[in-house]
Amino acid sequence: METTTRRTFLRNVGLFAASALVIEGLHRPVLADKPVNFSGWVFKPDTVRDYVGFYNQKFGGQVKYEAIPWAQYHPTMETRAFAGEIVDVMYCNHNNRERWYENGLIRPLDDLPGVDELRKKMSPANLDSLKSKDGSKLLGLPYFTSLFILMYNEPMLQQAGIKAPARSWDELVEHCVKLRRDKVSDTPFLPNWNNSPSGTMPQFMTDCFSEGAQVFDAKNQLIVDQEPGAARAMERWQKVYKADLVNPEVLTKTSSTDTHRLMWTGRYAYHTNHSYYLKTIAGEPENSKLAPKKAKMTMYPGTGHTYMWTDSYVVNARTKVLDDAWKFARFLGGNLNGDWYVQRQWCLISGLDNPYPEMYEHPQIIQSYDRWIDLKLLRLQYEKGRAIAAYKEPWYGEYDTKAVPIVHDMIRGNLSVPAGLKELVKLQRSLV
Amino acid sequence: MVVLFPLLYSFWMSFADVSLLRATGPALEVFGVRLPLFRFVGLQNYVRVFSDPLYWSSLWRTAYFVGAFVLETTLAGLGMALVLHERFYGRPLMRSLLLIPWSLSRVVVGLLWQGILDFEFGALNGLLYNVGLVDRYIAFFKHGFSALNVLVSVYMWNQAPFATLLFLASMQSIPIELYMAAEADGAGYWQRLRYVTLPAIKPIVFLVLVLSTVNGFLMLDLIYILTMGGPGYDTTTISWLGFLTAFTFFKFGPGTATLYTLTALCLLLTFVYHRVMLSRFEPEM
Repeated sequence: METTTRRTFLRNVGLFAASALVIEGLHRPVLADKPVNFSGWVFKPDTVRDYVGFYNQKFGGQVKYEAIPWAQYHPTMETRAFAGEIVDVMYCNHNNRERWYENGLIRPLDDLPGVDELRKKMSPANLDSLKSKDGSKLLGLPYFTSLFILMYNEPMLQQAGIKAPARSWDELVEHCVKLRRDKVSDTPFLPNWNNSPSGTMPQFMTDCFSEGAQVFDAKNQLIVDQEPGAARAMERWQKVYKADLVNPEVLTKTSSTDTHRLMWTGRYAYHTNHSYYLKTIAGEPENSKLAPKKAKMTMYPGTGHTYMWTDSYVVNARTKVLDDAWKFARFLGGNLNGDWYVQRQWCLISGLDNPYPEMYEHPQIIQSYDRWIDLKLLRLQYEKGRAIAAYKEPWYGEYDTKAVPIVHDMIRGNLSVPAGLKELVKLQRSLV
Repeated sequence: MVVLFPLLYSFWMSFADVSLLRATGPALEVFGVRLPLFRFVGLQNYVRVFSDPLYWSSLWRTAYFVGAFVLETTLAGLGMALVLHERFYGRPLMRSLLLIPWSLSRVVVGLLWQGILDFEFGALNGLLYNVGLVDRYIAFFKHGFSALNVLVSVYMWNQAPFATLLFLASMQSIPIELYMAAEADGAGYWQRLRYVTLPAIKPIVFLVLVLSTVNGFLMLDLIYILTMGGPGYDTTTISWLGFLTAFTFFKFGPGTATLYTLTALCLLLTFVYHRVMLSRFEPEM
């Protein structure tokens, strides 16, 4: 019988431990050398933490995520850059992207591996949105894209004997007048005239587009004072406000989220807002009286064109972990996992769209959308989505904010439409 | 260092062309931290601020807001202090409850009052409608002037308890003998208030006026939660305009210049209050 000496025992234990470590190592991806700092504004931070965890585990990343309140997000990121802090991968909304690039905070992505393949997969309008002002550089990968849609409350229309949703603006106003007259709804129309950057001005551009008007010319100069369609849109807004067809307090709502919650009550017939809000309105019975699928979308009236934009993930120009940062950015805004993992999460959880048409063929996505929207109709509406390039101009943020009170004054009748449109143009010229 | 340095640095920024993302050029080194001085532009930011008509319309709106707020806070604070100075059943509980509005964060105060005043689901509208006082919900934020007054009242609701606390502490330090002597001389309630209480609490009235004036000028959070300066510009005050200029338009030079005009106004008003109220006040030795 073989005896085990102290020496052989120790040797065997050592070999066992070493082989265990090697086997463990074979199954675990190699960890990145340095952590990747990642920041975004607060929107479902638990979802973000989940997919960051998934990435860290599957791809051996060391991503550290931090969520910052939306209102302070961009100033905070700039203050941090000012203090010398490097956040490797960041969210960036479309209004700030060009400024961050021109001031050296973020880098173009064109020289990074795999970027050409992603470009080919993106819808052209969204790809243009993500490029620098001169069109030569790609500045970000898409976080989500959105556009304005028209939603309607089907049971309310049926109650009033209205068989089909409005196809024209005149018909929509007619329906609203009838609904108010018949006391079916006090304020049947809920346009997204809120006071935030995602409210009044995107809604203004949407309704101008739907009336066949241009808002900016090829040189990004505002031209609404020369566009009869813009005047028609504003006259309609004045008319519906004056006729008390709109909740007057929508002008002081502080976000599109707050505005869309009003639709949950079921007291409005028509609502215009970002497409993804229909997810909670029509898809979440625990929140909304119009779920499941009592609220629906219909093609936007007029020309059907609506305003569309793309927000993004960007890479810090001073990152010291470029390879890891880019790999993570591709996981977020590309298809590193091979199944549109992150984009699918956002579609499934929040109804956020993205510019990769390929993803909409995924059965899970089709099934999920079917619970709250007619996906084919939404995709048709996307084909009519219109992006602008003016937001790449340095004056755009200030114009966008200062234009809201002018538009509100037009809506309330404090300014005539021609005077208001001229005032908008004067404002834009003063900032150039 | 903690107080003076940020003050001086931000004051310097109001005379400079500031871009946080282009922080090159001469800089200060403080404990190893590089603080760029940016390009000095003299009074350019102030000229720009004063030549903006929006600044002046916001200034008059701010003056109205501060005037109404100071008046409401002082009167409501004094009124509540007079009530709580009297002896009645449940007084300790009332004194404790009084502090609740003051102890709430202003974001919570804004959300709370949004829930009370909202056109669609506001509790107040529901109450008024159910007891038959209105036949249609009231839109408190529809008109600019009404929205501005709502802001004044909500802020007063939040701040008046602190004024009450100060007034109450001051009233409790008035010697009881003074009231007894006044009573012996045949003074009624209003005469005691006028000739004993009010003169004795004069320094605290000064303090309340100064604090509420400064707080009124700087109020920002409620605007952010309730109106975002709208409808139109109807609730845009100087502090909101300064915030927008600095943090939305990223123009930190004009933004800090806008806000430093508020500081100057606060200092000026404090001086005026001091001259008007305390110049002839003789403290007890």
